[in-house]
Amino acid sequence: MKIYSELELDALRELANIGSGTAATALSQMLARTIDVSVPTALALPLNEAVETVGDAELVVTGVVLPVFGDLDGLTVLLFEEHDANRVCELLGVEPESEFAVSALAEIGNILCSSYLGAIVSMTGLRIEPGPPQTACDMLGAIVESVLAIGAQSNDVALLLDSDIRIEGEESSFTFMLVPSTAGVAELLARLGLGA
Amino acid sequence: MTVATETMVRMGELAASRSAGDTLVAIGLGSCIGLALVDRARCVAGLAHVMLPESSGAPDASARCKFADIAVPALIDKVVGLGAAPSKLEAVLVGGARMFAFGGSSLDIGARNEEATLAQLADRRIKVVASATAGTKGRTVRVHVDGCRVVSKEAGGVEELLFGEAA
Repeated sequence: MKIYSELELDALRELANIGSGTAATALSQMLARTIDVSVPTALALPLNEAVETVGDAELVVTGVVLPVFGDLDGLTVLLFEEHDANRVCELLGVEPESEFAVSALAEIGNILCSSYLGAIVSMTGLRIEPGPPQTACDMLGAIVESVLAIGAQSNDVALLLDSDIRIEGEESSFTFMLVPSTAGVAELLARLGLGA
Repeated sequence: MTVATETMVRMGELAASRSAGDTLVAIGLGSCIGLALVDRARCVAGLAHVMLPESSGAPDASARCKFADIAVPALIDKVVGLGAAPSKLEAVLVGGARMFAFGGSSLDIGARNEEATLAQLADRRIKVVASATAGTKGRTVRVHVDGCRVVSKEAGGVEELLFGEAA
């Protein structure tokens, strides 16, 4: 099992911090609201513990997933609980649960992911870009395990860079995660001067 | 008297039981496969939560059973260890959905998981008696040792009895 040191996890956490901070600024401009971001967690988990760490496996959520290509491959994932999805849609002026709601959330995914990755690009010089978003409204467990099966492939460890994004003045928040591949993590660490 | 328990079978795990009150559960299967193996006559049931089709090289011991080619024989050993007869085993498959259509068909991990699991079962002449696979929706599978009942449920849906006598 691949083990990451505390130093490596700290470096990844800092990267996630800068990425999600930049993403929050972009989202704040879009929604005209102040956005708070929790200090991101960088967790290296055995696969069997990964889903429960993210949340209740049976809870129905809307997931927006964007692939990441280039020097760092992986997936970014946004998870919205129903009432948070509805509130974000309202802030965008889109009728919740209408046919446009899902594409509005996908657009939030686009903006967060491209600004998050943009920050990582400026820090590391890696060439990376997001692909188009896909959405699913389903059990959290089914979404997360499908993402891990694609992104983590044969890894025995799921590395999750997980931020909680909270819209100030609203009881509304959602999860934003980067799930890099093992090779991608090695590349990131090398660029941060922590290469093996 | 034994106490009834519900055992969670998470990604890459497997479990088996012969206590009538027990239930084995895999919640929120996406592209993963929940493979149930039952011997009705001897009242033994097992469940594996398979994540990927094939192990390449020598996988770490910690998560070996996430691969179909390792999980299927391991689950057979486990139910046989509890008294099931290899020739009487019946299989039920749940999951293998394609929730996200990234890349080409080679990235349809759900379909590849199902195919790899079926191939392993065919090699061992185990009959598949029911399945709820493919599509785009996640599923939860519950295996009740009592009556070897296997039920599947989609998000927001109702439980569907795939195999066994209704309770």
